Amino acid sequence: MQKLSQLAISSEGFVFNPTTGDSFQVSQTGLEVINGLRDGKSDDDIAERLTATYEVSLENARRDLADFRGILKSLGLI
Amino acid sequence: MKELIIGVSGINAIDNPGPGIGVARSLKEDAGIKVKIVGLAYDAMEPGIYMDWIVDKSYMMPYPSGSGDAFIERLLHIRKNYGLDCIIPNLDAELPVFIKYADDLAAHGIRTFLPGMEQFKLRGKDHLDEIADKINISLPRTKIVTSVDGLLKAIEELSLPVMVKGSFYKAYRCFTTAEAISHYHDLVAEWGYPIIVQQVVTGDEMNVVGLGVGEGNSLGLVGIKKLSITALGKIWTGVTVKNQKMLTAVAEFIRVFKWRGPFELECIVNGDEVFLIEINPRFPAWSYFATGVGINLPSRLVRRAFDLPVAPVPDYEAGKLFVRYTYELVTDMSAFQKAITKGEVP
Repeated sequence: MQKLSQLAISSEGFVFNPTTGDSFQVSQTGLEVINGLRDGKSDDDIAERLTATYEVSLENARRDLADFRGILKSLGLI
Repeated sequence: MKELIIGVSGINAIDNPGPGIGVARSLKEDAGIKVKIVGLAYDAMEPGIYMDWIVDKSYMMPYPSGSGDAFIERLLHIRKNYGLDCIIPNLDAELPVFIKYADDLAAHGIRTFLPGMEQFKLRGKDHLDEIADKINISLPRTKIVTSVDGLLKAIEELSLPVMVKGSFYKAYRCFTTAEAISHYHDLVAEWGYPIIVQQVVTGDEMNVVGLGVGEGNSLGLVGIKKLSITALGKIWTGVTVKNQKMLTAVAEFIRVFKWRGPFELECIVNGDEVFLIEINPRFPAWSYFATGVGINLPSRLVRRAFDLPVAPVPDYEAGKLFVRYTYELVTDMSAFQKAITKGEVP
C-alpha cells in the first residue's frame, strides 16, 4: 500500500500521484475505499463499512470493491 | 549592494520559446539582489527586446559561429558601453563559445557559471550511454551512424518505428525506412554527423531542471511532468512531480560528473523504468516554473557566481501546475528601428 499512501487526496476526492504526475477524480465511495486501504483495513472490513453507510448488499459491496481494486491495480497503485 | 548587470540570451519568447525571459524574470523576482537585464538577441523580432519591464537593454548579437572572435568583441563592447557583470547563455549553439572564452570573459570582468568543455561534450547525444549507465537509469537502445548503410542496419536491429536524431538538435519519429532516410539527410545537412538512431520508448515525459555547483552538489532541482505540449513538442501545461528514481538519478549525475551550471535532464518514465532521452547544458524554457514553486535557480546561480549568500536548497511541493499563456504588447516602431539600425534598444 506504499504507493496508495503517497497519494495526495483532497476531501472532494481529487487524487494526485506525486510520483507519476497523474491525477484523477474518485467518487465518495471510491474515496472511502482508498482511505480504508491506506489505513490497512481488510476488504471485508471495508465492504462491511460500505454496507453500513450505503444501501448496498454485502455481496454487491464486495464485488464493487474487487472491481475498484482492479482499477487501482491497472493504475499501478496497488 | 551594487547593481549587477546580467546578460541573458534566448529572449525569443515565441512558439518555440527560448529560456531567456523566464531566466530574466526569475532574476528580477529576487528582492535580495538588484539586477539590470541585458538581452542578447539574434533577430530584431525577438519579443524580449520589446518587453521593457523585464529586459532593460537589448543588443543585437552576431552569431557565435567560426572562431567566436566577433561574438566576444560584441560582448566586450556591451561591457564597455553599458556594463555587463555576468552572462547566462541560454542557447545550445552559444555554449561552446562561452565555455571556450570563459576565462577571457572573466579577465574582462564578465562572469559565467558553466560546465567545462569536457562535461559539455560528455552530455552530447552520442555519449548518453555512459551517463545513463553511471546514474543507474536506462537508455533506449541506440545506434550511432554516419552512413545510410549504417542507418539501414540500425533500423533492422532496432525495428521500426525509430527515432532519428541530430547530434545537437531535432529528433524525428520515423515509421518507414524512407522517412528515416529522408530525415537522416536533412539532419546531416543541418547539423552534420553523427546521427543517432534510437528505439522508441513510451511513457510519461518528465524533465528535471537543476543547477550544479561543480563540486558534486546541487543548488536545487525541480522535477516536472509535461501535461500538454505544442505541435513543436514544447511544454504548454505541466505539473511538479517527485519521481524518486528520476530525482536520485539527477542527483547522481551532478555528483558523479561534478556538473557546474544549469541543465535540463529529459526522461521518459514508464512505471519504475526511467529512460534518459537528453541532457541540455542550460536552463530550459520552462525554468520559471521552478522559480514559481520556490526554487529560483537563475538567482541562485548569480548569487553563487558573485559569492553572495545562497540559502540552503529549498524543497518544492509536488502537484503545482504550470500554465503557459499568450500575451500581446503594442509599442512604437522606433524600438524595432533601433534594433535594426543601431543594434541596441533603447
